[in-house]
Amino acid sequence: MSLIKLCQNSTKTILFKCTESQGLYISARKLSIVPSIYDGENPAPKFFSSGVQIILKRLTRPNFEKVFRKRTNSNISVLRTPVYKFLTDEELKTEQSNAYKSAERLLQMPPVVKVQEPVDDVLSKDPALVGYDSSTYLFTDITHGVANEHRLIIQREPDGTLRSCDHDVRKKLNQIYFPMQGRKLRDPLVFSDPEKLNSLLERQKYEYILDRACVQYEPDDPQYQKLTSITYQHVDMNNQYDLIRSTRHFGPLAFYLTWHNSIDNLMLELVQTGIIREAVLLMSLRQAIKEDLVNGEESTALVSEILPTRIQLSKPEFVSEEDIQLDTKCMECLDKYINNNSAMKSQQGLALQGFREYYQQLIEISRGLQKAHGNA
Amino acid sequence: MPLPPATGTGRYYAIAAKSIRLIRHGCTNRPFFHISVTHRRRLNSQPVIEQLGSYDPMPNMNNEKLVALNLDRIKHWLGKGAHVSPPVAELLGLSGFFPIHPRSYMTAWRNRRTERENQAKEKAEGSS
Repeated sequence: MSLIKLCQNSTKTILFKCTESQGLYISARKLSIVPSIYDGENPAPKFFSSGVQIILKRLTRPNFEKVFRKRTNSNISVLRTPVYKFLTDEELKTEQSNAYKSAERLLQMPPVVKVQEPVDDVLSKDPALVGYDSSTYLFTDITHGVANEHRLIIQREPDGTLRSCDHDVRKKLNQIYFPMQGRKLRDPLVFSDPEKLNSLLERQKYEYILDRACVQYEPDDPQYQKLTSITYQHVDMNNQYDLIRSTRHFGPLAFYLTWHNSIDNLMLELVQTGIIREAVLLMSLRQAIKEDLVNGEESTALVSEILPTRIQLSKPEFVSEEDIQLDTKCMECLDKYINNNSAMKSQQGLALQGFREYYQQLIEISRGLQKAHGNA
Repeated sequence: MPLPPATGTGRYYAIAAKSIRLIRHGCTNRPFFHISVTHRRRLNSQPVIEQLGSYDPMPNMNNEKLVALNLDRIKHWLGKGAHVSPPVAELLGLSGFFPIHPRSYMTAWRNRRTERENQAKEKAEGSS
């Protein structure tokens, strides 16, 4: 009997220890993420410049199977089976161009802009109104056809001051008089309670968080920038870029990492998975934003060659002679970058070496195949 | 019963005098006002020409009273020579659209006076 008790006791202590260590682990992880917002230089001109936009869209690596997947069945009363059709080439082309258009709409990136500045303009002060009322009067101009950000919203305070409302009040009143679907008057618990947010992050529901934040906040809201910053950093720490790829949030993620000088993990992932061209695109993105690369011009020159090629969804299986030329250039460019500008020199160097060997084999196989088919 | 549209359902006569006034909606012990334009000689219970805003006189949980004004349409009706009832003129005055209504100043100093008197009374009670 006593032996059994001892056993029970010991298991209890073990269990206790386990939970304790887990708790420590989570709290340590929570502490390590410090949100950073765009409060210094305005990132908008760089983000919206056409060169950067093209690179970000390409880095998103849209996979149509993921872009057009069914996410909810909320608006669909009956799930229908797919329709298969015989099409002529022309019809197929129009269908494809339609698909590209709707994909572009689905992948439109949330803008990256500077955080909003507090509103502080007093319109008039009237001390004779002190005592008129103990509560604040909020006046909203509900004139038809005015955008939310330009709407006239002012307040008369109990001390007789007439001033423009601050952003939180503006947001609330805009939502009261012109409700936006999906947006709530109060912050949802997911965002106000760090425990709940942390649990979502632990379950890697990044896309859900980012989509929800997009609906709830404006892009220049400090809370939005904090939330996205935490999510991006979590994605970066756990190397879960694939969960965000082919969604509209990958562009801002890449921009965020580049802006805050932390693209090394993403670069390593790109080299390890063998998407060498996107690694060069990422280099040129850094060149466009930070302009601190040794061989920056070389990479920007390569971009115009890379963009017309097809999007690589996985490691190449077969290469043509043009591909070989382009990829060798990319590898040389990357080699220089890793030696001069990278903070993870050894790991990225190893990954590139691994890719080189793989690529050498691939070249041999492809050339051999072409010879066997009698095309060489 | 569904609310009538903001464009109003009342009959409109071009020559008759109009007035912009508060029209009580809401229910018992819970006032809520529409700011509407209607004929001067028409009752508040009758259909209005157009709704121009709303006013919630009960402070919300943040101690705020919400007023919505369709300034574009208010300007239009003022241009057509609509009269403005004193409570609406007070609200427009507080919003900075009109000059402050004299009655607002009267209410303010009367409130201040009663507060002063109450304080004096409390002081007198405290000392005695």
